[in-house]
Amino acid sequence: MAHLSNSQRVVITGLSIVSPLGNTIAELTRNVFSGVSGIKRLNMPFVDEMDCKIAAQAQFDPANHFSKHTYSMLDRTSQIALYTSVEAIKDANLIIDDAMKPRMGIYLGTGMGGAQSIEDGYVRLYKEGASRLKPFTVLMSMNNAAASAIALEHQLTGPNQTFSTACSSSAVAIGEASRLIRHGYADVMLAGGTEALLTFGTMKAWEALRTLAEEDVDDIGASCKPFSVDRTGLVLGEGSAMLVLESYEHAVTRGAKIYAEIAGYGAANDCNHITQPSVSGQSATMQAALNDADLSANAIQYINAHGTGTKLNDITETNSIKKVFGSHAYELSVSSTKSMHGHLMGAAGALEAVITTLAVHSNTLPPTINLAHPDLECDLDYVPNHSKTLTKLEYAMSNSFAFGGTGAALILKKLN
Amino acid sequence: MTINEKKIPSVEEVSNALAKMIADKMEIDITTVLPESNLQELGLDSLDTFDIIFSAEDYFKIKVPNDQVKITTLQDVAVLVHQLILSQKS
Repeated sequence: MAHLSNSQRVVITGLSIVSPLGNTIAELTRNVFSGVSGIKRLNMPFVDEMDCKIAAQAQFDPANHFSKHTYSMLDRTSQIALYTSVEAIKDANLIIDDAMKPRMGIYLGTGMGGAQSIEDGYVRLYKEGASRLKPFTVLMSMNNAAASAIALEHQLTGPNQTFSTACSSSAVAIGEASRLIRHGYADVMLAGGTEALLTFGTMKAWEALRTLAEEDVDDIGASCKPFSVDRTGLVLGEGSAMLVLESYEHAVTRGAKIYAEIAGYGAANDCNHITQPSVSGQSATMQAALNDADLSANAIQYINAHGTGTKLNDITETNSIKKVFGSHAYELSVSSTKSMHGHLMGAAGALEAVITTLAVHSNTLPPTINLAHPDLECDLDYVPNHSKTLTKLEYAMSNSFAFGGTGAALILKKLN
Repeated sequence: MTINEKKIPSVEEVSNALAKMIADKMEIDITTVLPESNLQELGLDSLDTFDIIFSAEDYFKIKVPNDQVKITTLQDVAVLVHQLILSQKS
């Protein structure tokens, strides 16, 4: 379906991250286009009890950024989201006045919500035998805690929703937020994702799924190898990424800088298996985004792939791209930045949308690192190991596919 | 802070321990936390108050029944906690 005839164009005017590749856009830009890995030995007290001892952790201490009172009432997943909301608004140079507050909201994605808080509660109940829990346990662990904290901080009285569709959560949040603006329900939206799931219980649960990458004993940073024949799985990561979305008219009126335009958003479901992706589901997702943007497949020059580094995903995504793009699949470029920042689950789509925005803004494609031995079944241009600069990058797609089957694709456009 | 589990603390000692918990939590000067201080005026909302009660339970090894949490001042909390220490350790 093409845009509504009276729709607003939606642009990105602010970006912010807390990530395994740094906590500023400048750090992220430097690292992601230089092929730096954020995957390291897990720095947690429980590491010795893990089979999987690697992760992509964000080097971020929230205690340095919040009052003790605020800090004590928020799970890490909310702390990093709140921080990125403040920084994104600063980056957008946005002054939120009383007139704007009802026309501005927050759509956020998270897979596991306040994982540490719920786990702390269980430890207290089941291990320590406590008869009651901390009064803030519910308020810290509920999935909408982060979005609520952000709305409260900035007094945003517009729409506030939290999307939880596993690994596509924040791509869905960004897409749905862009539709709100497009259809006139809001002028400005914070949209993004947050995830802080590097807890003992959560990591153990992920271990049990047997999708986590084996540690590369020669180079821990090379443990995630998307599209490589020797890939062994994904590496868990944590972080938050936030975008300020704005109607084009609103942004231009206030003289905002514009990184890129959100030209399309598509969502679809596999309906195949709870964990196994399908070509039909993934291709339907990408096609829906193209239809939404009213674009032919040939317009897309770059895809930031979901690219988890699991055996199944990378072949399925490759075949899905071929199905949607035909012969053009061999002309466009694809990369998986998860090779560097790991898999941020509910925040993955947002971080990758930020990276894709930076790519469009700078005409530079981030690499897939650790791709020395390509899988013959993965035969596209995955921008191996080094970034690539184009004369002009006009349209790029960012893919997110999730356990449960929900896929989401965003199309970013250079603003003309 | 530590507690001597064999010694029953006085109301004043309970009050001092609670004042420190409140000052730490709310990041306020402990000298502003007086026995007659109204907790709401110190910035504690109902959840903060429950959090302090919760901390007091852990610290003094007592259980505060929900129906007894009707508190306005630090002195109210200190007296309640002291009574519970006496009744639950006797």
